[in-house]
Amino acid sequence: MTEHFDRRNFLKASGALLAAGSAGLAGPALAAGKSAAVATGRKANLPKAKGPRLVIVGGGTSGLTIAKYAKKEYPKFDVVLVEKRDMYSSCFSSNLWYAGLINLEFLANHSFLDAAVNNNYIYFNATVTGLDRAGKTLVTNEGDIAYDYLVIAPGISYDYDKIGVSNVDVMTALRQKYPGGFISPTEHVTIHRKVQEFEGGVFVQTVPGGNYRCLPGPYERACLIASVIKKNKLKAKVLVLDANPEITIKAKGFHAAFNELYKDIIEWKPNSAVTGVDPDKRTISTEFDSYTFDDAAIYPNVRASTLIEQLGLMAPPTKSSQKEANVDTRYYNIIGDPHVYVTGDSRPHPYSKSANTSNTEAHYVAKVLAARAQGKEIAWVSPETICYSMVNANPMEAISVDARYDYSPEKDAITGFSKDTRTFEDRDTAKGLATLEWARGIYRDMFEA
Amino acid sequence: MDRRSFVKLCTGTVLAAGFAQSLRSYAGAIEDFAPAKLVGADGAPIKASAVGTEEAMVFAYPFNAIPCYLINLGQRTAHSQTLSSPDDGDYTNPAGVGKGHNLVAFVAICTHQLSYPTPQVSYLRYAASGSELAGGPGRIVCCAHGSVYDPADGAKKLSGPAPTPLLPVRLAWDPATDELTATGTVGQKFFQRFFKTFKGDLIERFGPGAYRQDVGPTAKTVLLSQYSGMVPAC
Repeated sequence: MTEHFDRRNFLKASGALLAAGSAGLAGPALAAGKSAAVATGRKANLPKAKGPRLVIVGGGTSGLTIAKYAKKEYPKFDVVLVEKRDMYSSCFSSNLWYAGLINLEFLANHSFLDAAVNNNYIYFNATVTGLDRAGKTLVTNEGDIAYDYLVIAPGISYDYDKIGVSNVDVMTALRQKYPGGFISPTEHVTIHRKVQEFEGGVFVQTVPGGNYRCLPGPYERACLIASVIKKNKLKAKVLVLDANPEITIKAKGFHAAFNELYKDIIEWKPNSAVTGVDPDKRTISTEFDSYTFDDAAIYPNVRASTLIEQLGLMAPPTKSSQKEANVDTRYYNIIGDPHVYVTGDSRPHPYSKSANTSNTEAHYVAKVLAARAQGKEIAWVSPETICYSMVNANPMEAISVDARYDYSPEKDAITGFSKDTRTFEDRDTAKGLATLEWARGIYRDMFEA
Repeated sequence: MDRRSFVKLCTGTVLAAGFAQSLRSYAGAIEDFAPAKLVGADGAPIKASAVGTEEAMVFAYPFNAIPCYLINLGQRTAHSQTLSSPDDGDYTNPAGVGKGHNLVAFVAICTHQLSYPTPQVSYLRYAASGSELAGGPGRIVCCAHGSVYDPADGAKKLSGPAPTPLLPVRLAWDPATDELTATGTVGQKFFQRFFKTFKGDLIERFGPGAYRQDVGPTAKTVLLSQYSGMVPAC
């Protein structure tokens, strides 16, 4: 089944009511005074730059792809990838692990060192602490790095305030006991344990409002936890508390899975935004109801990484309700600063915050950087969101979407899915198998030559 | 002098006259490799007229670990044109060979993110009668990210993220015997990238070094459904 998306579907799917709008490079001068820290004067222990230095912060899908392809597009670039982790593990595909369809090695057997060697750049294991844009210097715990071009791709942070949890004790308890599982590998390990050790009762999976990372992710996870429940013949259900009025993407395929595979296991409740959680009593509240649970993965709303705010790069609330970066819609540079870019899930665009979006966006941004380093400009190209969702583990069956986006020059904004966007919502084993190869392809594109 | 150099020197002189059908125009554009006769599982040469139209056949060429698809386009023919590979530069793909000029061969490695057929599974296949992703019959589809190629048009991309066409394999057809021989291809640099990317897997499957050795004078050619345990029909 193939279905074309219209603008209404787009807004429902993205959950983003604010399109990314911004002025071009001819904006105000550098707002460097907003940067959070100044250079320490202690230089990072790096070789002298042999060409224009391109520093990339964040070794996720966006940063790894830009590091590789910017060097390919413009070999004179001296590329340094700054990443705080010393071990990679992907967020994408982590749901598959919970149902035993892959192992942890599938997600984590990918080396930052190999990626750097294969693609002729430097991997620098450090944490960013500040930015001096006037002095074009990035500050890290391992010293300062001067840049000609800087790309910041730090991903997302959770926003617990938006699910009514502002008490720091409660927030901390939630982070640790019932993690969302859409940021860090340690969350994935915890959720994997929860699913494997689940012996019955109610498992709550929440779906936030707004434009959250991996739109189908919470629904896919609900299906895979239900698969485990079904296989283990548990007296249990997955309670999906969804802030949205409808499943946000691939709704037909997910509804079919819920109804045909997990009729007595998955209970999906739309319009059920979480308004509060008591982690000790294991109760979760929505506007009209309260539920008791045995275990949970509570996915709060998302925002750009707190690093974006810390570095003074956040868009005003009129442009992003999710504390995302203040970048040019087409070229990703911070407004008024052609040397600093923000890409990946900290962007304010209403794109699906997914690995394939970040990967294809990064291919384009690499070209933008290469062009600008040579005094040129290139035409905007839409990212592509190819996204599989495994809805059954026994046997593996999946549904998928292949989406691109439209840009309006009049509005300087992303206005919807392109006409060639298609969904494939009849689950089958072909797409189930393809789900695995989709991920392997992305790993190859980031880590191999 | 190694075998490949020998063949380069001798191309056009030692090969049977009938082979010249596909060699004359393209020898400069496609790199010559040692010819490998396509043979069946029993070792006997396969006949061009016996190649079916419903699915691709698989053979290795020019190296043990490089899978290629032999495709019978049926009523369609394949023309030659100038195409380009980011790894290996410009080339002219061969026209179809055989009595109906409808037999073509391509390196069966997706140029997007290098999915290729293995004995376990093939995400890349020739969807003779079409499929959900293909958008029409007679196309090569990669399930991984939805790239669709047209084997009658140099395996150029029809849709999806693939940046460039599948790379061609030059076939020679001997009208006297109706036999097929692979004689050259494009992709030395692409092959090196493939070997590096999958080195661990290829060593496990073929043994250290063996994956990059010449395939030899014959290339075993089998149906994809026999070659791979699973061929998802996306």
